Amino acid sequence: MSQQEKQLTEKESLDLIATMINQAKNAYHDTGVSAIMWGTVVAVCALVKFTELRFHYRLPFDIYWLTVVAIIPQVFINIRENKERKVKTYDDIYMNYIWLGFGICIGLMILVVNGMGYAWQPVAEEYYKLAGKRSSFQIYEFVSPLFLILYGMPTFITGAACRFKPMLWGGLLCWVCCVISVFTDAKVDLLLIAVSSVFAWLIPGIIMEQEYRKAKKGLAQANV
Amino acid sequence: MFKDLDPILHSQLRLAVMSLLISVKEAEFTFLREKTNSTAGNLSVQIQKLKDAGYIDVIKQFKDNYPQTICKVTRQGIKAFEDYVLNLQGYLGKG
Repeated sequence: MSQQEKQLTEKESLDLIATMINQAKNAYHDTGVSAIMWGTVVAVCALVKFTELRFHYRLPFDIYWLTVVAIIPQVFINIRENKERKVKTYDDIYMNYIWLGFGICIGLMILVVNGMGYAWQPVAEEYYKLAGKRSSFQIYEFVSPLFLILYGMPTFITGAACRFKPMLWGGLLCWVCCVISVFTDAKVDLLLIAVSSVFAWLIPGIIMEQEYRKAKKGLAQANV
Repeated sequence: MFKDLDPILHSQLRLAVMSLLISVKEAEFTFLREKTNSTAGNLSVQIQKLKDAGYIDVIKQFKDNYPQTICKVTRQGIKAFEDYVLNLQGYLGKG
């Protein structure tokens, strides 16, 4: 832009406003690192759990603890990305709250599901004593659909709000898998969770990362 | 002539800065310079004029031992920008 104060016509003014608003809209591309990490972590946890059930072995620890451990790198990723940001949009704030809310809901869901599991245990034992056989109702069969409902929500909203179709479709896929998992056994449910996390987070994350790198490269070339 | 148009906003660089800031919560000085393709000196002068008019807030701080300037539009700035766009539309309607 020139050093001189250029007198604008009304059309030039409106064109300038539209151009700058579009520039601001495309100002920042998310790195996709978080999505890649969580997509990988959840898929690995589900697949390891699946192999435990399928091949009748048990790890000395619950593999899902990996999701708790993954919070540590997530904190560092957030700090680094916030430092790199030269602009904060209103979308960023809403998205942060949505994903924070999702994290809290997952934590609460784990608490509720474990509580239900402990409450169900004596009932199942009582049934076994009376009927002489195990109950056909197994509470863990319904855990995966509940988590898939939650996985879909922030993914779908993010995809829609950011006009990022891979995540929008990923969110929808979580809900489709949720419906299927109601009718399948726990082993298949775990595979559905792995598929959902790959399509909802890992693949969109890789696409986001590629776009981020492309935008960064374009900016570097423009600044030469 | 544009007698009714706000003279603070009716300048290429100041209007560009306001248009950028209106769409985001806040932006660094370097971001504004990058997007408007302006020089640091010229941008500083225009930002100061917008600040003096009460259209933007300017926060100066340090980040990793380097000075950082953050700009964000004020309520008064939003109102002025809206009025400016309405007036522009009025002129275009007349034309």
